[in-house]
Amino acid sequence: MGGNENPFGDLLQDYVLECLPLAEQVADTFVELERRWRADDPADAVLASLAGRLHTIKGNSAMMGLAPMREVAHALEDACGLLGRRPDRRGDAAAALLVTGGGLLTDLVRHAAPDLDPAAADRYVERVRQWLASDAAPAAETQPERRQADRRGGGAAAAGAEKAASVVRVDFRRLDAMLEVLGEGLIQHSALAEAYREVARRGGASEEMDRLDQAVIALQKTLKRLESTLMETRLLPIATVFGRFPRMVRDTAEAVGKRVRLVQAGGETPLDKAVLDRLSEPLVHLVTNAIAHGLEPADVRRGAGKPEEGTVRLEAAPQAGRVVIRVSDDGRGLDERAIRKKAEALGPEGRSDESIPLRSLIFLPGLSTADRVSTLAGRGVGLDVVAGAIHALGGTIDVETAVGQGTAFTLSLPVTLAIVRSLIVEIDQERYALPLAHVAETVRAEPEAIREINRRGVAQWRGDLIHVADGGAVLGTGRSRSTPRRFYVVMAAGGKRRGLLVDRLVGHQDVVVKGLDPELGRPDVVSGTTILGDGRVACILDAVRILEGGRRAG
Amino acid sequence: MPVDNARTRDAVLGFADAMDARAVAEAAPAAGPELHLLTFALDREEFGIPVTQVREVIRVSEITRVPQAPSHVRGVANLRGRILAVVELRSRLGLPPAELTPRARVVVVEVRGRVLGLLVDAVSQVTKVPQASVVPAPEEVLSGDSDYVTGVARWQSRLIILLDLEKALAPTE
Repeated sequence: MGGNENPFGDLLQDYVLECLPLAEQVADTFVELERRWRADDPADAVLASLAGRLHTIKGNSAMMGLAPMREVAHALEDACGLLGRRPDRRGDAAAALLVTGGGLLTDLVRHAAPDLDPAAADRYVERVRQWLASDAAPAAETQPERRQADRRGGGAAAAGAEKAASVVRVDFRRLDAMLEVLGEGLIQHSALAEAYREVARRGGASEEMDRLDQAVIALQKTLKRLESTLMETRLLPIATVFGRFPRMVRDTAEAVGKRVRLVQAGGETPLDKAVLDRLSEPLVHLVTNAIAHGLEPADVRRGAGKPEEGTVRLEAAPQAGRVVIRVSDDGRGLDERAIRKKAEALGPEGRSDESIPLRSLIFLPGLSTADRVSTLAGRGVGLDVVAGAIHALGGTIDVETAVGQGTAFTLSLPVTLAIVRSLIVEIDQERYALPLAHVAETVRAEPEAIREINRRGVAQWRGDLIHVADGGAVLGTGRSRSTPRRFYVVMAAGGKRRGLLVDRLVGHQDVVVKGLDPELGRPDVVSGTTILGDGRVACILDAVRILEGGRRAG
Repeated sequence: MPVDNARTRDAVLGFADAMDARAVAEAAPAAGPELHLLTFALDREEFGIPVTQVREVIRVSEITRVPQAPSHVRGVANLRGRILAVVELRSRLGLPPAELTPRARVVVVEVRGRVLGLLVDAVSQVTKVPQASVVPAPEEVLSGDSDYVTGVARWQSRLIILLDLEKALAPTE
């Protein structure tokens, strides 16, 4: 879409914003219909729910002069109308026709442009026309049904219009800009509070000073409220990502020849748009894995006394300021022996020590390109890639599995990336923020507790030996020190753990994340910057990269 | 790179000396178009940048080091809630490092939509210089990494080395 230089730009954007969710719902409903019909459920109510949405898409497309979308929506309307009247025509062929149309309509709406190539739409409309004509419907029944559908459509449209009146669409960049301004406000408040304390220290106690004090405190509360309201504004229901799964599950199941039921829950759970945008791909990986490798073929399932139709669950729920997402299947479970054998072949990192939990091995790079995976799916879907993406979001991933019963991946994600709860540490007089998501523990560094093996610091932590690196060495502020550092922070992600020696633990703080200027290059160990309460700038450390950087961060 | 820059610097200084030697009392009142420059000191030389690129001049406050940043980056500072990357212009131009004195300032510039801080030894003043007083930089200066010198203004017994910030600040990959 052309943006401002195209007079249709904004209108087109509005069109997509309004019609894309509708088209996606329609596409999902078709997938649902197919499943229900296979289970001999006529699903009349589901079918009837489509009319209003298709009608709205048709109307809006016509208004924008987008003929291909209008025609496809119209054809689908006709097909649904016929199916409503003629239960005998429902079935796999009809469902396949609808599912194809739903996907096509969604694609067309998503890439809405005035110069759209109508060829695919034309072909599809022709297909529907032939299908409709292949068995002419009794004309007499058409009229009342049609009117009923229109009434229903009108009702939905009216309800939509009512809701739309109280909703304003805002470009997400504006919300980012607002957050930026709010951040400045918070810092200015800190400066004001600091100035007040300085004056108070010089003995400026008076009635005016008390009033000033109260005003400064009130201002802080107001800013905090503004912050939480603004954060809420940035959140979207996770359903915006879950929405693509019904069709994706159907297509994948079809491709591997399995029957799969998708159960979704918690779609209303709110999550920052920036997190949602980067969550879709890892979830697709996990769901694809569940269908292709987790679920057994129908005959195996039957043999094991399970229902032939496999179940994949996609669930989300808020939990203590974070969002937990679970992707589970009722399939065969992970083959622990095969994984351990494969891990062993990867070398020392994946040594098949029974004490190393399976969950640390499975996310090792290269592991899930194992034979089992690549032969079944035709491509290795690396769990290390999934874990990397989740870690980059400040999240964690864990797995539980039981042979014959299934596998569940549990993701824990921050609700937002804009504000990160962090541990503030001091190393060589500089302060740094360490996201708490990757901090397992802080430990007092007793001199005798850290030994040197192969010129690397090593300490015993929760029964394991972990590498403890010097903070100054990792961050380039110096290595040899006369006074030893007093603490180490144990960082953990994806089964990797490492200690980082620091001079001081300053405290916990919610930091507003700011980017890195391009002039700063691309530092490995820093993911962003922030301004601390005292107005000083601190770098936000990238725990995942520090955990990875074995050589560089010796 | 430091070697190249040292050579460049010698070339600039040599050129400046030559200009000095030839200096004639031709400080006529300005006629024709003028350049509006902010000038600042770096290692005994005077440099100038167009005032249109300057947003403000601030005192050096707390500057936070950024691990693994390029060597010419001093760090980041808080400019009223905004994160400002501060470039050590001495290092960027290949001049020897020096202790910060109380006269040191950060010149906040806007280049290609980016706001950056330049750490300089001291800020001299805002000066108007006739366009006609600018001579192109000598060719040897324009070689290699130093094409950020656009010319030298000779005006009222001052020599001002004109910088093209877009070039001086291009990220060195």
